[in-house]
Amino acid sequence: MKKMAFSIAKSRTKFLILLLVAEIIILSLISPYFLSVNNLMQVTQFGASLTLISLGEALVMIAGRDGIDISVGSVMSLSGVIFGLVVINGGSIFTAVLIALATGAVLGLINGLLVAVAKVPALIATLGTQYIYGSLALYLTGGVPISGFPDGFKVLSLESTFGIPNQILFVIIPVSILVFILIYKMKFGRRVYLMGTNPEAAKFTGIKEKRIRSSVYILAGVLAAISAIINNSWLMTARADAGTGMEMQAITVAVLGGIAVAGGSGHLGGVLIGVVIITMMNSGLQIANVNSIWQLATLGLILIIAIILNQLMSRYVAAVEKNKE
Amino acid sequence: MLKKYVPKPGRREYVTFLLLAVEIILFGILAPNFLTVDNLIRVVQNNAEIAMVSIGMTIVMLLGGIDLSVGSVMGVIAIVIGYMLQAKVHILVIIITAVLIGIAVGFMNGFLVSKFNIPDLIVTIATMNIWKAVIFALLGGKWLTGLNPSWGAVTRAKLLGIPVLLILIIVIYAVFYYFLMYRRFGRYIYATGCNPQSANLSGINVKKICLVSYCISGGIAAFAAMLYIARMGSVEMTIGSDLPIACIAAVTIGGTGAKGNGKRGSVIGTLAGVLFIAFLKNGIVILGIPSLLENCFIGTLIVLSVLFDAVTANDRFKQGKEAAL
Repeated sequence: MKKMAFSIAKSRTKFLILLLVAEIIILSLISPYFLSVNNLMQVTQFGASLTLISLGEALVMIAGRDGIDISVGSVMSLSGVIFGLVVINGGSIFTAVLIALATGAVLGLINGLLVAVAKVPALIATLGTQYIYGSLALYLTGGVPISGFPDGFKVLSLESTFGIPNQILFVIIPVSILVFILIYKMKFGRRVYLMGTNPEAAKFTGIKEKRIRSSVYILAGVLAAISAIINNSWLMTARADAGTGMEMQAITVAVLGGIAVAGGSGHLGGVLIGVVIITMMNSGLQIANVNSIWQLATLGLILIIAIILNQLMSRYVAAVEKNKE
Repeated sequence: MLKKYVPKPGRREYVTFLLLAVEIILFGILAPNFLTVDNLIRVVQNNAEIAMVSIGMTIVMLLGGIDLSVGSVMGVIAIVIGYMLQAKVHILVIIITAVLIGIAVGFMNGFLVSKFNIPDLIVTIATMNIWKAVIFALLGGKWLTGLNPSWGAVTRAKLLGIPVLLILIIVIYAVFYYFLMYRRFGRYIYATGCNPQSANLSGINVKKICLVSYCISGGIAAFAAMLYIARMGSVEMTIGSDLPIACIAAVTIGGTGAKGNGKRGSVIGTLAGVLFIAFLKNGIVILGIPSLLENCFIGTLIVLSVLFDAVTANDRFKQGKEAAL
């Protein structure tokens, strides 16, 4: 028993899978409808935008120096709105996608320059840009959602192939794989982790910190822009409040997935399981007809509990390992 | 002798006051009805809550933290006050209950931050969402209207042509200036913010300082809630949602740096920052700039002021390094 507890505390993945199983059991007890294939497929659609945004947020946190990006939600809103404006003004979907991705990259670059080059605390810098981007999105739409996308745009998020929603099969899975390759199979990823664990050592190994850290923020921006496009296709409208509250969900997912707030540790795999857990919880609460404002409150609670749990588990592991010696 | 160790508002505060003067002159030229007594009094009345809450925010940010939950905390307290007013509870009971709730809520934030070492941002982002849900639950979708507290007359009164509210705010700022600059506890706050490790080694109970600071912040939010009710006479769902960003903007413009930013600043700078934000909001309305862009300006101001601090701090750091070599 003790051995098992230790192995669960030590391995984040085991712990998260246990949590996920418990959640599925509880939710299916509450509503028999929950475990139907239809519902599960729908749940994946809810989690689509959150997946990419959380990966970006997790990377920013891993890269350390109190890294955090509060503006991801607003980046998603603004790039989605710009996508919508391009389409409405006669641009093709392809140009709109390119422009939206470029928007995400530029917005991320602004964050990156502030944090990595000017050395402004990430928290305040991205809090400021969050309000700038969000209010620009509102201003551009005038507060009215942009609709009137061509019907063909539905292909991306409202249709499915082999029963799997298109945006999961053709966007989320490939992009996640690309991010994983970038982080776990290439030099870039090792550098990001090293910057998080030991910035001093990273400096002495000749890592160009400014460049890598800016790239991480740009990556987070681009991932948010991809989420925005998926979301636009799913709702067939571009809304200025599409990303509101996304940063909160992304931070919760990252922390729940085992990303250390201090940077340098945690695995993106945990983040993916975290996305599944949070998305299922949201959907469960929706099925149980709970107001969305309570979903945010639940997220808040989970965030605090997850972080306390992180510390208790690492303390427990440290204590057990010390005993062994 | 002692004088040497008591910091005076430094050059950074003068920059804020200079900006404030430029702003007033600029708006005065652009909008003829800006510099009227009526308008200036209205500005003070409309921003009394920001002025109050910014004091608490300054203290928390001097410690290197941030408190995003103040707005929702103020909302919860305002609703409790509203219900008590409707139930015709005695005014003293109302005030005491409000302050106690504020302190308790602040204690919760401070406890999570100091006891579990959770970053301030994460704690307060989580509690913010929890309190938002509580506001929703307490109001149940309705508005509380027709509140006419007996202290409303005081806040609207004038003494020798000067609004009592303005005098009150100046007195409170003076008290906190004295407290932070000349009392032992205030100096401990600066010491802890500058370098928590050395503060701890020199015998300061860092955790207690942090806890008490959040309690002060919560207690002040109670007074802000009273001012809000006196001004609006009603409480609605979105109460306080824009408050944290305005306060953070006021504090950063006033020169109190966030994490890793030298921990300078004082409530005097914050007062100038509050006035700056207040006049800016007023000027935006008077000049007919779309109000959707208001947050964009505030966000830009935050980014510019932390950028300014970061650049000047880096210079000073470099000079110090050269001197050491």
